[in-house]
Amino acid sequence: MHYQPIFSLLMTNHEYLDPGSGSMLIQVILAALLGAGVAIKIFWRNIKAFFTGKKTSETTTEDPTALTEDDPTAVPSDSTSTRE
Amino acid sequence: MPENVRGSFRDPSGFMFKHDGKLYRQVNQKYREEYDLLMNSGLFDQLNKSRTLIAHKEVELALAPRPEIAYKVIQPEIVDFISYPYEWCFNQLKDAAILTLAIARRALEFGMSLKDASAYNIQFHQGRPIFIDTLSFEKYEEGTPWVAYRQFCQHFLAPLALMVKADIRLAQLMRLHIDGIPLDLASKLLPGSTRLNFGLTTHIHIHAKSQQRYADKEVSQDKVKARMSKTSMYGLLDSLLSTVKSLNVKTIQTEWTDYYQDNNYTQASFEAKRQLVRSFIEQVQPKQVWDLGGNTGEFSRAASELQIPTVCFDIDPGAVQQNYDLVKANKEKFMLPLCMDLTNPSPDLGWHNAERESMQARGPVDLVMALALIHHLAISNNVPLLDVADYFADLGEYLIIEFVPKSDSQVKRLLASRLDIFPDYTLEGFRNAFKQRYVLLDEKPVEGSERTLFLMKRA
Repeated sequence: MHYQPIFSLLMTNHEYLDPGSGSMLIQVILAALLGAGVAIKIFWRNIKAFFTGKKTSETTTEDPTALTEDDPTAVPSDSTSTRE
Repeated sequence: MPENVRGSFRDPSGFMFKHDGKLYRQVNQKYREEYDLLMNSGLFDQLNKSRTLIAHKEVELALAPRPEIAYKVIQPEIVDFISYPYEWCFNQLKDAAILTLAIARRALEFGMSLKDASAYNIQFHQGRPIFIDTLSFEKYEEGTPWVAYRQFCQHFLAPLALMVKADIRLAQLMRLHIDGIPLDLASKLLPGSTRLNFGLTTHIHIHAKSQQRYADKEVSQDKVKARMSKTSMYGLLDSLLSTVKSLNVKTIQTEWTDYYQDNNYTQASFEAKRQLVRSFIEQVQPKQVWDLGGNTGEFSRAASELQIPTVCFDIDPGAVQQNYDLVKANKEKFMLPLCMDLTNPSPDLGWHNAERESMQARGPVDLVMALALIHHLAISNNVPLLDVADYFADLGEYLIIEFVPKSDSQVKRLLASRLDIFPDYTLEGFRNAFKQRYVLLDEKPVEGSERTLFLMKRA
């Protein structure tokens, strides 16, 4: 009997790190659940914004999934690039 | 001659090497598309401006040790001292975890995915965690799961959970398992109550079960019909983030955290000692300092305040955490607090014993400080004074050391419950032992105590 390679559809370029089949499976299931949570959160935020007439903050209108607080990768106002 | 960095062999995207004492990274042709995407998508600039990814410059390709497969040679910014997760306090590991997830999230925004969530990709640089592996990004294909999910759980979530929910000392499991703590082991060690915690029950307990169930099994396609949308990916990352953020170790009350409140220093003698240490440091003018047994860094700051990169090692994770919290609060750039048991310091670990360096291999340093430490090594751990001198001489060229005599209350305490088998533990015996390895440059009594402070240079 022929099996297709494990997750050939899901995995693109993973020769470097073995993601583990059990880890992949549980992740996909879990993420579906958590993704639904995110979708619901955005949905409620929009409903609330509609009734309160308040606009959602700048970051959330651009990207509803943006981290709003203590994101270490946010650029501080006094930053200067060190790229040479 | 270029010389490969021995811990850098896992990733086919490129490798680190040294040339004329400088550190470079060869980026392979294989990684070309990804590298260009990182540099041109805006992701590099975003992470660079937020100082969360190590800066680098592109240098001439002629430096490439393997030109036939080379695409670029880059020269990364240098981190003063490379440290490892098993040397971090809880809050350091937690901040590293948060940074890893924030970078994974940010990468998605620019159409990339973080393919490597190893804790070893984080270093503490100028007081803050920073991601050092420039080649850890790949093009994000919508529908693909996060390839580093298991790695993140093993490297970060499992040790953090174990430290909070089981025992802070389990951080040392990271030294044993350098690819992260196996999830089935974490699941076994965590108390049953963690099954009621949504994040821990899913990302550790159920995750471990799933690994066990599908270990060595081919899984047919129809089992994973569900593909992972980008929203689901955000959901997963956010769930990990909130789980990590919910784990807290407030004040770790261990043996040493109250040391300065609970000993026989007077404020005046404390200040006098600090002045003395500072004047010795100024005489040496070291480029880097290691303070051994530095507790919360009171005296290490005599060096770091002079803008000298200083590593403050202590055995007590509570003291290290207090120190780290201070570094963060005051945005200190020259202080790196680390956990280290000097009677059993970090060894060479990993493949060929060369992936992670021992503490000593990361030296030698210009100046070693050992204040109020000698009695713990010589009396609590029975190390002969000459052996202590040998070890310190291996670690660095100059030494500032405090001799604490038997008449000191701290030593009396150590000897209270055991036989005094240390006839040579006297000021004279100390001098004689250290003279065999060092030239004694200066010697000053510490005001208001019976202790003596020495400045020495390796003979």
